[in-house]
Amino acid sequence: MLEFVRRNRVVLASGSLLLVALLLLSTGARNRQRLDPLSAILLEILRPAQTVGAAAMRSAQHGWRRYVALAGVQRENDLLQQRVHELEQQLGRIAEIEATAARLEQLLAFDAGLHLDGVPAQIIGRDSDPWAGALTINRGERSGVVKNMAVLSPQGVVGQTTAATAHSARVLLLTDHNSGIDAMVQRSRARGIVQGALDGGCVMKYVQRGEDIDVGDRIITSGLDGIFPKGVDIGTVTHVTRGTRGLLQVAEVKPSAAIDRLEEVLVVRGAPTASEPTP
Amino acid sequence: MRLRPALGFGLLTVTALVLQTAVVPRLAIGRVSPDLLLIICVYLGLHRHSVGGALGAFTLGYLQDTFSGTVAGLNAFGMCLVFTTVYLTSRRLWVDNTVSKLVVVFLASVLKTAAVLVLIAIFLATEWNWRALLGYLLGDAVLTAACSPAVFALLSRARRAPVAEDAYA
Repeated sequence: MLEFVRRNRVVLASGSLLLVALLLLSTGARNRQRLDPLSAILLEILRPAQTVGAAAMRSAQHGWRRYVALAGVQRENDLLQQRVHELEQQLGRIAEIEATAARLEQLLAFDAGLHLDGVPAQIIGRDSDPWAGALTINRGERSGVVKNMAVLSPQGVVGQTTAATAHSARVLLLTDHNSGIDAMVQRSRARGIVQGALDGGCVMKYVQRGEDIDVGDRIITSGLDGIFPKGVDIGTVTHVTRGTRGLLQVAEVKPSAAIDRLEEVLVVRGAPTASEPTP
Repeated sequence: MRLRPALGFGLLTVTALVLQTAVVPRLAIGRVSPDLLLIICVYLGLHRHSVGGALGAFTLGYLQDTFSGTVAGLNAFGMCLVFTTVYLTSRRLWVDNTVSKLVVVFLASVLKTAAVLVLIAIFLATEWNWRALLGYLLGDAVLTAACSPAVFALLSRARRAPVAEDAYA
């Protein structure tokens, strides 16, 4: 008997404990609200460990939520920055379109004021040589643009075409030293030839010594060269040189057109009108 | 059971209890959560073939009852049943590799939950949805089995003493 108990003590102990558990259960089932003293002691002993465990878990969860929230904010920030970048680009494009529209409107108004057969053209190239003044425009023979046509801007004379292909044309600028435009002083009607100077400005040459020309005078086209219509603004006199000898005087002229900043021009097709245009 | 391994078991039991009551409920997927104390109970059934092992299993169940707020004896019965079954099985079957231990833990979880449900039905007469309970039962068993290798590794470290030192004594 003792040997049986010794050999099966684990099973017997387990069976006894099962019975104890059932006893506990049947007792507890009758009074579910009651906490037995041993459970109360165990709860009290293990309460600090539970508190620490729960606090650690809360901290970990809080940290995780913050991390997730920060990751979300970072993502949102990236998206917003991308959006700002897109909108800035869009804004830049719109501003550019607005500026172009304003310039074209000005050009068309100028064209209408001159009563000319003008064709608007975009500048697609500039001469890289600092001593030369030439442009390339996107209109050529297909648009009726040929050699020796006046090229204007709303501010005044730009130059004249010197060569044309099917879809582009070369423009010799007013400021190029090879250019020559028959001009006159608007106030006194004194005549001369405006040519480019090497410093990027212009000079009015061949003005007779006795003619009335002074600083501030407005120089306009005379219309006698058969290229430029009469009365188009060329520039303003900034300095007059009258030598002690000789029959002529020379005036330095500042071009009215901002040639370096031009983006669109008007090419005058056909014969220029004889009448001076309204400004 | 020597003092040092017993202390190690005690510490691991308390840690598992704290994890089970304070941490696991927050990480539970739906209502499915692993039963860490059951893994310790299975470990006792596999490696502690002694009255101490049986008492350990009862204590684990009693602690679980205490902290789960249910009627005392419910989990204690389940744990004792699991210990006894695993103990008897391990005397006849060699359960030593990871896969077989996973299977034992899975079946032990199913057995314990089933036993607890039967006891509830008998003593507490609570109404429940059997289909939902079956889902939890299987989910708990899978999660418990999945956690068992890590818990077994920790228990083996805590044990220090040779395997089945006092088994079959």
